[in-house]
Amino acid sequence: MDLLAFSRGPALKVSLVIFCLGVAWRIVGFALLRLRRDFNKPRTSIAKWMTGGLVTVGSRSWPHPEFIPRTGAGEALGYSYHIGLFILVLLFGPHIVFFGSILGFTWPGLPSSLITVISVLTLGLFLAVLFRRVTHPVLRMLSNFDDYFSWFVTALVMVTGLAATAHLGAPYETLLAVHILSVDLLLVWFPFGKLMHAFYLLPSRAINGALIARKGAVS
Amino acid sequence: MSRLAEIPIRIETPPAGALSGPAPSGGLGGGVAALLTEIASLLVRLAETQLPAAIDLRSLPMSPQDRSELQAVLGEGEVRATIEAEGISTLRETRMSGVWWIEHRDAQGELVAELLEIAHVPAILASATDEIAAAARTLREHLSLGARA
Amino acid sequence: MSADNDGLTVGEMLLKHGISRRSFMKYCTAVASAMALPPWMGPAMAEQLRGSPRPSVVYLSFQECTGCLESLTRSFAPTIEDLIFNTISLDYNDTLMAAAGEAAESARAKAMKDNFGKYVLVVDGSVPTGAGGAYCAAGGRSAVDTLREAAKGAAAIVCVGTCASFGGIAFADPNPTSAWPVSALVDDKPIINVSGCPPIPEVMTGTLLQFFSTGEVPDLDEHRRPKVFFGNTIHDRCYRRPFYDQGKFAKSFDDEGARNGWCLFELGCKGPTTYNACATIKWNGGVSFPIQSGHGCIGCSEPGFWDKGSFYSALSTPAWGKAGEVAPRHVLELAAGAAAVGVVLGAGSAGVSRLRQHEREAGNDGKGS
Repeated sequence: MDLLAFSRGPALKVSLVIFCLGVAWRIVGFALLRLRRDFNKPRTSIAKWMTGGLVTVGSRSWPHPEFIPRTGAGEALGYSYHIGLFILVLLFGPHIVFFGSILGFTWPGLPSSLITVISVLTLGLFLAVLFRRVTHPVLRMLSNFDDYFSWFVTALVMVTGLAATAHLGAPYETLLAVHILSVDLLLVWFPFGKLMHAFYLLPSRAINGALIARKGAVS
Repeated sequence: MSRLAEIPIRIETPPAGALSGPAPSGGLGGGVAALLTEIASLLVRLAETQLPAAIDLRSLPMSPQDRSELQAVLGEGEVRATIEAEGISTLRETRMSGVWWIEHRDAQGELVAELLEIAHVPAILASATDEIAAAARTLREHLSLGARA
Repeated sequence: MSADNDGLTVGEMLLKHGISRRSFMKYCTAVASAMALPPWMGPAMAEQLRGSPRPSVVYLSFQECTGCLESLTRSFAPTIEDLIFNTISLDYNDTLMAAAGEAAESARAKAMKDNFGKYVLVVDGSVPTGAGGAYCAAGGRSAVDTLREAAKGAAAIVCVGTCASFGGIAFADPNPTSAWPVSALVDDKPIINVSGCPPIPEVMTGTLLQFFSTGEVPDLDEHRRPKVFFGNTIHDRCYRRPFYDQGKFAKSFDDEGARNGWCLFELGCKGPTTYNACATIKWNGGVSFPIQSGHGCIGCSEPGFWDKGSFYSALSTPAWGKAGEVAPRHVLELAAGAAAVGVVLGAGSAGVSRLRQHEREAGNDGKGS
């Protein structure tokens, strides 16, 4: 079996299994946890907690005006590369075919040359983000293996993907195999590190919002 | 079920830069100057050392403009030869003595090779010694048969 | 086709068949041009061959469909490809030769003996080793034995077609006859793999002609295929490449995109990972090739192409399971199954956590929180 057949075959199969198992484990494991018993009396109705939760998801997605001068750059950077990642993962022809082969349906994509431009920009932003993390004293102190490895695994997928589309540096079948293997690595790492923020982000904001609404405050 | 003849055909010109066959349409880029320079140096070599040479035109990425420029510079000479051997081959000496433009076609008329030969006479045109000797033998046989008849 | 060489040189043999020196020189020039060899090599090849005794070729067919031989003989300009049969002395080919039975076998044995160490062995078809080699036996001898015996006196072995080169369709899962490519059974002779299902006729004849005239094995890639023909992928020279680069893909056969000649990547084209000359030399005398005719490349010159998933699944799709085939339903089932296990584990983890939390709170209650 050559490297490409391995990357699309057994490696992808095992990675998908680990991904689904791990993500389900962590989501359910987190969802079924009990909150610390709160002996305060609730100040609002349960309906208000739920709307409070939803409102918080929205309100915490944008910085408060007072904080923008300090956090604006970081937020903009983060939003930009996330949007770039979504575009290149979900709107590139060969990727759409990949999802289509799993889900059974597809959607229209963007011209490949545009995707290449967006990918290069996103990779640039991604490097900027690492630079910021390493140079900012507070961020550097807070960062651990998880942060750097999650960054590395995502960056690797982007770099190998660009190399494959550009047919740069090795025969195409090798470049494609390496790209797919890097995706396999991302899938395997996903449930165990900070990439899980993809699934935790919305629930955690909602729960915080609900708790604060229970206390009668606005978040 | 639609028949082949009922399927509409639309011919679309491929966008600029489309590859078709071994030659990208970008042309020689810089005109035919480099090619002409090579031809000139091969002519010098031929004149001094009698060594012939050939340039395979199909291996060069020539745009239609390059081709017409090459034809314009080399021009047409006095000699035009046709070889009928499993298809027609045409050999023209250009205005530049010693530069022969050769087109080989197969029995179906398809171009199978196109080259510039820098020589006194293209190799394929000249008769071969062994064939000349065989021809002499054939003639002698014919004459001796004729004498006996 | 003669069993003994008549002592004639190639040139004399060609003349006997009405093919003049100039015709042959023209043919060799065309082959040299197609192989991107220096133009002086065409006449040089012609002169070299004309003066030599006809090279002896023994053509053995094993577990094959005869498509490769059909491709070789079914050429669009018969005179050009026929030339190869007048150049060489095809001392054995069980499909083409008039003789049969004992006469044919003894002709082969004689040719191999007379030209020992000098003949070229051309093989098509894979070699089955199952059931003691009984799956392919002619004249009471298995293909394995015939191959090994013929290989002993061969100057070189040219494996024509994907079956002889890599095992081909017989070698594909589950390989019921235990078929092997020639290179798995012979390791002490130079081997040239001219793969393809079938290979392009000009690729076969060009390789043979170059070997006969130079006596040397051409530059080969890691799969022992001549780099001059197998050095680029179909994708590298495909005329639809601009559409690939722009992301204009046909979504189904005969849809709007397909009729406009858009890229066939989504319809399973294996062009990017397939090395062959189809996009440049093309088929049927340069008329067309699969992509030009609207069907994606199936990768037929690559090892194991039968087991690399559906011909209609794009290269960016999963490909595990039997012969690389995986249906969307199976992927979703697998994901759901894994997720179900994850849910159970998650419930377990949460359960353990809640239990500990409860014990801690019970302990605290006792002490007064």
